[in-house]
Amino acid sequence: MPSLHLNAPTQPTSSPHSLLPFLQSQSQQTLNKLYSRPSACLSIFRLLAPLQQQIIMNLLWLESTISSSTMSAWVYREEKKDYDAALSPLFRLHILATSPIKLALNGTFKTSMRQALTGGGTTGSFGVPAPSDDNNLPMTLDGLDGYALERWETILHYMVSSGTGQTSMRPSKDVLFLLQQSGLMVNFQGALQITSAGFQFLLQSPHAQLWELLLQYLRLAEERNMDLVEVLSFLFMLSTMELGREYSTEGMTSTPQVAATHKAILNDLRDYGLLWQRKPSARRFYPTRLATTLTSSSPPLPTSTGLSSGPKEGFIVLETNYRIYAYTDNPLQTAVLNLFVSMKYRFPNLVVGSITRDSVKKALNNGISAEQIISYLIAHAHPQMRKNNPLLPVTVQDQIRLWELEKNRLKSQEGYLYTAFTSPADYELVLNYARQLQVVLWENAAKRCFFATLDGHANIKNFIERRTGGNA
Amino acid sequence: MDEDTKASHLSVVVDFSPTYWDLSARDPPENDFPLSLTAFLSQFLAFLNTHIACRDENTLAVFGAFPGKSVLLYSSTDPVSPSTEASMNANAYPPFQVVDSTIAQRVMKELDELEQREDEEEAPSALVGALAKALCYVNRITLPSSANSKTMANGFHPGVLPDPRILILSVSPDLATSYIPIMNSIFSAQKLKATIDVCQIYGPNTVFLQQAAHLTGGSYIFLERRDALLQYLIMSFLPPPSVRRTLSVPTQEQVDFRAACFCHKNIVDIGFVCSVCLSIFCQPLAVCTTCRTKFPIKTLQRLNAARPLLATANSNGRTSSQNLGVGNDSAVDGPSDQITATAQSVETFLSPSSSTSHLPALN
Repeated sequence: MPSLHLNAPTQPTSSPHSLLPFLQSQSQQTLNKLYSRPSACLSIFRLLAPLQQQIIMNLLWLESTISSSTMSAWVYREEKKDYDAALSPLFRLHILATSPIKLALNGTFKTSMRQALTGGGTTGSFGVPAPSDDNNLPMTLDGLDGYALERWETILHYMVSSGTGQTSMRPSKDVLFLLQQSGLMVNFQGALQITSAGFQFLLQSPHAQLWELLLQYLRLAEERNMDLVEVLSFLFMLSTMELGREYSTEGMTSTPQVAATHKAILNDLRDYGLLWQRKPSARRFYPTRLATTLTSSSPPLPTSTGLSSGPKEGFIVLETNYRIYAYTDNPLQTAVLNLFVSMKYRFPNLVVGSITRDSVKKALNNGISAEQIISYLIAHAHPQMRKNNPLLPVTVQDQIRLWELEKNRLKSQEGYLYTAFTSPADYELVLNYARQLQVVLWENAAKRCFFATLDGHANIKNFIERRTGGNA
Repeated sequence: MDEDTKASHLSVVVDFSPTYWDLSARDPPENDFPLSLTAFLSQFLAFLNTHIACRDENTLAVFGAFPGKSVLLYSSTDPVSPSTEASMNANAYPPFQVVDSTIAQRVMKELDELEQREDEEEAPSALVGALAKALCYVNRITLPSSANSKTMANGFHPGVLPDPRILILSVSPDLATSYIPIMNSIFSAQKLKATIDVCQIYGPNTVFLQQAAHLTGGSYIFLERRDALLQYLIMSFLPPPSVRRTLSVPTQEQVDFRAACFCHKNIVDIGFVCSVCLSIFCQPLAVCTTCRTKFPIKTLQRLNAARPLLATANSNGRTSSQNLGVGNDSAVDGPSDQITATAQSVETFLSPSSSTSHLPALN
């Protein structure tokens, strides 16, 4: 009987989560402190690849160490490479204790992970629920979603409108500072201008955007001498919280210093829309959907379109005649589309434009790549478009790529031109040497000259000097 | 969304037969490794938590097979009753708390109900009923979710099917009367491309569940070290199909392919198959009881004449299978045959898609 698994395509090489390299760069001490909280262990566990998760789980409930060879006996020989590739980040994250022959989990990680799965312990790392408040009505889910969306879109809209000279609501000073630090915007003659990295940022998925900003925030926290462990574990705690529940800030602080850190984090994350507080001084807060979906892949924002109307998912219809219809009334989405579409009409719930050479060129000049435009269109395609195969008209896709190629007709490379060789023999000799080094970019035997890259120059120069010195 | 990041679905069918759990909990002279229901539940819940821990989008459904009754104990697509303030605590991940408390409460409720109706004799566990419910559930969630707003809310994207898997944790021995429904469940599982994994926690190997695991590409484990249940569960049944391509999981070396006859529900080594409807009988019949096909008298006589021979072969086969603990499908060479009524039925019989490949065949 043949196996009945779903079709098994070749293993996709999905890139690891963007937070993992950051964690890998941290010291073992920092990581160990982090691993002492069950919620942090659980969140990091979720960011790992399925194979890595399985390896951890296989080891989690073992009391003794297991030799590496026993473990690798479970691996199919042809998949050994994948297995080894999965192991090495675990060593670098210090989740697996470094030892050449034995495999064992980091003791702290093991204890906390067990606690996370079975409950118990007294760390309180999953957040302390606030007792019900009689004075105020609890915040509704819709209210939280609205708040998160409003905060997040304010940031994005500010970025996108900075290029066009329109004015929009300014996010708080800290957010602007963060945008500037991360290189998404630059201070240009006293006003913040979006950079090409910023344009690329706008076309990413909300998840990627969120993590990029948070990573930047973490780096900033390092510079500001905030306790990184506290910042990270606060983020991880948020990611394991329940949406629509109110949590108390009390009970998780032990020292005044930690309390100050928490207060700073609360303020910052409130600006980003990750959590909501009734008033800045409140001792309780609600996490929003942006926060609770940090370690999952479900959409972090309730709807990417406007709150009032608009379909839940995609809104863009693209036709083979380069016409684009966007069913949206959301100024942010209109502004993002405006990056690479030339707008024609605007109706209360519909924007019509067309993709032209000029509009795409403008986007390319801003640093946006053709792939990014295409993937944005695919990600936001209208459900009606999803019936098509391929989803986007091939002509339009190809044309956008061709316009990008047009821009890349010339490729510049620095180097040196070697010329004025006295004899063909000399020329051949030096050219052969340069060929061996694989630095030749262009050669012309008739004119007795060739062009080599910058890194080859020192060697070639030495070679010629040696030859001429030897001859002399 | 690439395959690595895809959510997977796990439906678990748990056999809660009080009789066998009681036997399983007895101390060493009877069991080398006693395992009580409470100990089982705590390890089982840890396993479920692990499944949810792997990905936020992983979904879970738990079905309990109680005597004469099958119950949905938990499903992640159901709107969860808001947990009360008292039950929340800062040391546990809220979804885990919901799963654990819901399942524990419902199991206790069902077991209490069982205690109250002590008058009647304990009916066998409704394992097949629970399995069928699990299949229906898998069918529902793998349907294109456009019409189903509830699954959308739980993070399913249209067109992305979770890898459906069904795990059966059984303690009861085979129930011969459930042969046909189990076979039917296996075929629907194949059609749904759902993998059935089986863990026999207590009691002898079950023939039918072995076949279920084998035919759907799942793994069957006969639990030897029952104190290490959780480790077994995690190593064999946690990995989704994408991981199973890299890390191997235990599979059966030998599968007991015996079938049960339709007339007396006995598990037979050598049976007689109606060439028209493929019903299995333990003795030659003049008229098939299922499809009413009449067979020639001559064949019947010949078959009956061969029976004493068969009977000895039968008993030999059975003892050997018991002694070695392995299956016996040597019956394929059995001398039984029945003349086919029509030419068409021969084709039915020969066509590879027919379900007879595992049944005692004839030539």
